[in-house]
Amino acid sequence: MVWYIIPKATGGGAFKFADLFKEKLGILFDKEDEMCSLVGGVNFLLKTVPREAFTYLDGQKKFVEIDHNDLYPYLLVNIGSGVSMIKVDGDGKYERISGTSLGGGTFLGLGKLLTKCKSFDELLELSHHGNNRVIDMLVGDIYGGTDYSKIGLSSTAIASSFGKAISDGKELEDYQPEDVARSLLRMISNNIGQIAYLNALRFGLKRIFFGGFFIRGLEYTMDTISVAVHFWSRGEAKAMFLRHEGFLGALGAFTSYNDQSLNDLKPHHHTVQRAILNCSGHNLRHIPVTSNLNESETIECSINLV
Amino acid sequence: MDSTQKISHLALDIGGTLIKLVYFSANGDYSEESRNGCSVVHGKLCFAKFETRKIDDCLEFIRFNILHHSGVQHPNGAAHDKLYVKATGGGAFKFADLFKEKLGILFDKEDEMHSLVGGVNFLLKTVPREAFTYLDGQKEFVEIDHNDLYPYLLVNIGSGVSMIKVDGDGKYERISGTSLGGGTFLGLGKLLTKCKSFDELLELSHHGNNRVIDMLVGDIYGGTDYSKIGLSSTAIASSFGKAISDGKELEDYQPEDVARSLLRMISNNIGQIAYLNALRFGLKRIFFGGFFIRGLEYTMDTISVAVHFWSRGEAKAMFLRHEGFLGALGAFTSYNNQSHNDLKSHHHTVQRAILNCSGDNFRHIPVTSNLNDSETIECSINLV
Repeated sequence: MVWYIIPKATGGGAFKFADLFKEKLGILFDKEDEMCSLVGGVNFLLKTVPREAFTYLDGQKKFVEIDHNDLYPYLLVNIGSGVSMIKVDGDGKYERISGTSLGGGTFLGLGKLLTKCKSFDELLELSHHGNNRVIDMLVGDIYGGTDYSKIGLSSTAIASSFGKAISDGKELEDYQPEDVARSLLRMISNNIGQIAYLNALRFGLKRIFFGGFFIRGLEYTMDTISVAVHFWSRGEAKAMFLRHEGFLGALGAFTSYNDQSLNDLKPHHHTVQRAILNCSGHNLRHIPVTSNLNESETIECSINLV
Repeated sequence: MDSTQKISHLALDIGGTLIKLVYFSANGDYSEESRNGCSVVHGKLCFAKFETRKIDDCLEFIRFNILHHSGVQHPNGAAHDKLYVKATGGGAFKFADLFKEKLGILFDKEDEMHSLVGGVNFLLKTVPREAFTYLDGQKEFVEIDHNDLYPYLLVNIGSGVSMIKVDGDGKYERISGTSLGGGTFLGLGKLLTKCKSFDELLELSHHGNNRVIDMLVGDIYGGTDYSKIGLSSTAIASSFGKAISDGKELEDYQPEDVARSLLRMISNNIGQIAYLNALRFGLKRIFFGGFFIRGLEYTMDTISVAVHFWSRGEAKAMFLRHEGFLGALGAFTSYNNQSHNDLKSHHHTVQRAILNCSGDNFRHIPVTSNLNDSETIECSINLV
């Protein structure tokens, strides 16, 4: 008799690698829709885990107190390889309203081609020390040092990302990888922030939660996105980040076990109850992708077996 | 030529990457008296462009072709009246001293947004077969109803992108923009492909396949669509996403494929931000200007799909034949404003412009050459 373990799986790989997992591990995937899982994951975190969401403004991280009766609607922007933007109106009530193909995969893909870096974290580290004004064409570069105040653009505003690479007479090798990484990060972050706020405005959404493993606690990224959202929406919309940002889909799939999705599953089901966040305090640590969240990042909880 | 007739019949738009010139070329010295006693000069509006980093080429062009013929003396020569020339774009500020020093030209500065809008309105109201759509491989000229022109969205794709809501003649507001523009396409393109020019990059993109470097929905989902959210397996999930895991270096990729992915990425992004802003203000028509498109079908198709599809047919993308000269034209047609007290009381109005069109063929004009005779606009200028 063969026992198959039937775990929940979401994301495209739940389809693409279903056969591989069955063959190598005897695991059968119980597939959950990607968008449903992302939304389930955010709702679970916001309703169950204190100090999950936080804003980043003027260099200050601030946890957000979530009112469970005033959670909806909100916009979820999940920045993975690509970006999905989902309007969430309730538990299990959502609609993917937009997205962009300029996501984390673009940042890392272009980053690898331009800087020979080996990983996302290495690229982020490079960007830390970079100066975007070397490669980006600023308003002041076009206007001879002045602002274009009539349309609200200061001389240091970026008119054209990577625009200076046209006329500098330099080759790729002549640029510091740090500066390239910085301009790239700014470009992708600002663009996501802009498309996010344009979609929030479109549906009158005031809160935008950012998920996915793009941000990783980097202040420059959070600042760029926050400014793009807060400034361009004239304070109408607010950008918020999540401590467990990259695990939304997995958490959503995990908390969907109380659905009876397979007939031959023994009548076990699990509900996740009473989750207590064991928080490591107010420090948010950037977790490198090769290591895992340590004990202080786990979520204490209980599971009902029925 | 009468020495009191110091006509500034030239306008400049000096941007971050390109300098655009519009100038009037009279048909000989012939001018006629019109009904109200003005003299009318017939001729053509001509167009020229230069790279901003090669500004000396532009100075030389003006010195040889325009100043020389109009008899304006060199600053080092005998005393002469100052020549005021309309200029817009950031370079009207940045290079004002240079033009004064080298050519004795004083810039009469016009606001960039104002000029762009003036240029589009002039073209749409005066020049037939200026605007066209591109759908399903078909170019189609748009008949502009002058009584139903406003409002519309103007998306000018230069080094960077400005998006301007136009509500009337001189009534506009810059509502948005993006720093991912033509400068980004060429800047990243030069770094990634070693190409030497915008046209070379466009040429490369022609032969490229974006599926080599872009991560598609099908790549993530194992070949299937994600139909539940309306994405086919060939939809791009992540631009340049495959470059992460391919194990390849930059040198291992074909520059054609890199150029193609880059063009798709920038075009699609502009199209998306454009339609999001059109939706925001209920605008149905979006005109695209600037020198980014250059008649390239892949670009027009990408932008048109982004606009038409994602707005569910609410908004329509339209392109302009004189796309890159909007600012220069707007500055040129603003000469009827009395902006300087010491300017002699000459003013110009551009009347009865007749487009001498080269037919339905759209030719991609390389940046080093200029629009030829068939791309000029026949018109008349009133001298009062």
